[in-house]
Amino acid sequence: MARDYDHLFKLLIIGDSGVGKSSLLLRFADNTFSGSYITTIGVDFKIRTVNLDGKRVKLQIWDTAGQERFRTITSTYYRGTHGVIVVYDVTNGESFANVKRWLHEIDQNCDVVNRVLVGNKNDEPERKVVLTEDASRFAETMGIQLFETSAKDNINVEEMFLSVTRLVLRSKQEMKERQQVTNTDTVNLRKSNKQTRKKCC
Amino acid sequence: MNSFKQPTLRINQADLMCKNGCGYFSNADWDGYCSKCHRSALEKERQKKLSSKPQKMSGFTKFEEKKRQQTDKKNKLIKTPVFRKTASGRDSFRSERQPEAIHNPEADRLTVEYLKTYVLPEQVNKDFFKKISYLYSMIVTEMDNNKPIEEVAELAQKYYINYSTRLNGHPLYADIDPNVRAEMLEFFEKFVMSSAYEYIFCPPTTNDEEKDLIIQNRIRKLSWVNAYHLDCCISETSMEVRELVYTAITDLIGLDSVKAPQEKLACVVRCCQSVVEILKSCQEGPVSADEFLPALIFVVLKANPARLKSNILYITRFCNDSRLMQGEPGYYFTNLCCAVSFIENLTAESLSMNSEQFTSYMSGDSNVISTWESALFACEGMHQLTQHLSLMKDLTERTATIKSRAEELREKMQSLKDEIKSKVATVIEKNPLELKPPNELQLKTPERTHPALREDEGEQASNFYTYNLQNLSVKIDQKSKFKLDLVADQKPVEGGSGNSLTLINYDIDVSDLSNESDLTPEKRDDRCLLDMKEESPEARLPPPLEPTAHYSGFAKQGYQIPSIPCNTGNKNSDTYKNTTNNGN
Repeated sequence: MARDYDHLFKLLIIGDSGVGKSSLLLRFADNTFSGSYITTIGVDFKIRTVNLDGKRVKLQIWDTAGQERFRTITSTYYRGTHGVIVVYDVTNGESFANVKRWLHEIDQNCDVVNRVLVGNKNDEPERKVVLTEDASRFAETMGIQLFETSAKDNINVEEMFLSVTRLVLRSKQEMKERQQVTNTDTVNLRKSNKQTRKKCC
Repeated sequence: MNSFKQPTLRINQADLMCKNGCGYFSNADWDGYCSKCHRSALEKERQKKLSSKPQKMSGFTKFEEKKRQQTDKKNKLIKTPVFRKTASGRDSFRSERQPEAIHNPEADRLTVEYLKTYVLPEQVNKDFFKKISYLYSMIVTEMDNNKPIEEVAELAQKYYINYSTRLNGHPLYADIDPNVRAEMLEFFEKFVMSSAYEYIFCPPTTNDEEKDLIIQNRIRKLSWVNAYHLDCCISETSMEVRELVYTAITDLIGLDSVKAPQEKLACVVRCCQSVVEILKSCQEGPVSADEFLPALIFVVLKANPARLKSNILYITRFCNDSRLMQGEPGYYFTNLCCAVSFIENLTAESLSMNSEQFTSYMSGDSNVISTWESALFACEGMHQLTQHLSLMKDLTERTATIKSRAEELREKMQSLKDEIKSKVATVIEKNPLELKPPNELQLKTPERTHPALREDEGEQASNFYTYNLQNLSVKIDQKSKFKLDLVADQKPVEGGSGNSLTLINYDIDVSDLSNESDLTPEKRDDRCLLDMKEESPEARLPPPLEPTAHYSGFAKQGYQIPSIPCNTGNKNSDTYKNTTNNGN
């Protein structure tokens, strides 16, 4: 397998069931634009390579089950994750209320991870119950970036994924500078693996 | 605050004393005994263990013990040279000695496969196998030394990285295509892991086997769980879905039959892809993890694969970590781990049912036939039904054939009958029975006899008779009644002297033949002899049955018949009847 990328990131997409995690994923993976190509392997396993700041970044995005009953077991997914996308449904107040729990989940399973908050289904203003102000205030207090997207109308999806990628890329570069390690990719993977390994398994 | 906490922190004076109450102070390390009592207690326990061990061992532990002993023995037998080699100096471990080649059927097979797949310089091959043997012997040695499996796994993982850097950095490998290099790394892993499989899969140093049994029992207990409980949309009654579920189950079970971690992963991927297919056929729109995970759990529950936990642990330990964390295999394997952990921690709540119901199901008090099973039964029933239906159809067809054939046969028989009838009719028509006016005396006799004879004899006989009769009647027309009488009186030895004589002969002949008179052959012989030799009766020796000189050559009855009509006139019918009766 020749390396057709400079960086390989694993992103996790979490949130209550029915908030549109898979739709976001599908929208992102199936929407081709110049300078990128997609490889669809499984139905719910998507890989896309994007060009970002002159770097070829391969993204593999893992979809997770959001049901309450699976909450305790999904910790396995966090292993080796570079970035997490927390999704809620702007037309569903409860899904927003659960965001806090999801964030807590991330903290429990990963040490340092890049996170973004995504309010999906932002296409019908009359049905919207989670106000943008509330959400952004909450995001601010938690120190994460907020995106309001619509997978249906393809609003903000691309931007959101690219910004997560940028976050991950930046933190990786920072880490690289800090550690001054030559082979970042491998070492980074191993290290994060080791850290999570003790926690999860 | 201090006083509040005191009771929990302070140790009671009595707790410090020996449990036996001997007055000495105790120690936590000695299980709350004083040193003396602890020693004696230990001794007692050891003796108890020794004496009760054989009886106490339950079926499984016994089996396990036996297995462990066997593996130990096997390991010792196989690994003796390796063991000795490393025993000679563990320090030489790092000095990259040339280890011996692995002797193992699995390794031989893989060597052949490698040489077939990759055409690489001799140097590269040599290095490749050297590294393989090195890692292999290292793993085997470590396992022999009863090192914890985690440490061995760590070692293997490190070595994967080492070899990967070597592949990508060493000048020896510089000319090789990067794709081939990646494949080689994978093959390296496959080779070592398959060869060392017996040592590192479910090793006796761990309790993997017990875990396997635990999860197996748990899944067995959970056999009542159906798609409804898991809130997944698998329609258990659909034929197509059932096929796919079976495919997924087969793939999952196949996990135990392959050896290399990547092969095991491939099984998981295949299984999961089937699950995705199931979901695709069960619902509209894209498949998301929200549906995928429950479906996978369902499949795992229905499959109950052998040594599931061992396999998962083996993959986690020895599959190259970089592969396990990324790509499709990684994703699906993670999902499988999640499914297994869900099953392990499954509660009433996670199946959205109340705990009483759950416990009663788990204990087997309420025996529910799940939808899946009933679907299975139903499908089995349907299957049998269709089989029986086809059988019945076949039988019906055969019956119909038989019926039609029977009909055909009947028609044929009918036509044959008709044909025969018509033939008979035509024959009768062709040869009509001409009756003479009733005043003719001679005619009456045949007329009466005719029907009776025809009934008794076959067609030919009757025809013959009719024909004769006809002739007779014609001849009778020509000759006078008296003449006939005269002829009858004459000797038949002169054979053919008169027509009338022949005629009468015929008449008699028929009745004789039909009645199989004893005298007929005799009479014929006579006639033959007489006809051929033309000798007078006097020249020959009189045979015992030879009639006397006045013998007319007729049977007695025959001789008498013609004479009766002349004597008795109209009463001749009675005489004729007598004749036939005598013949009989």
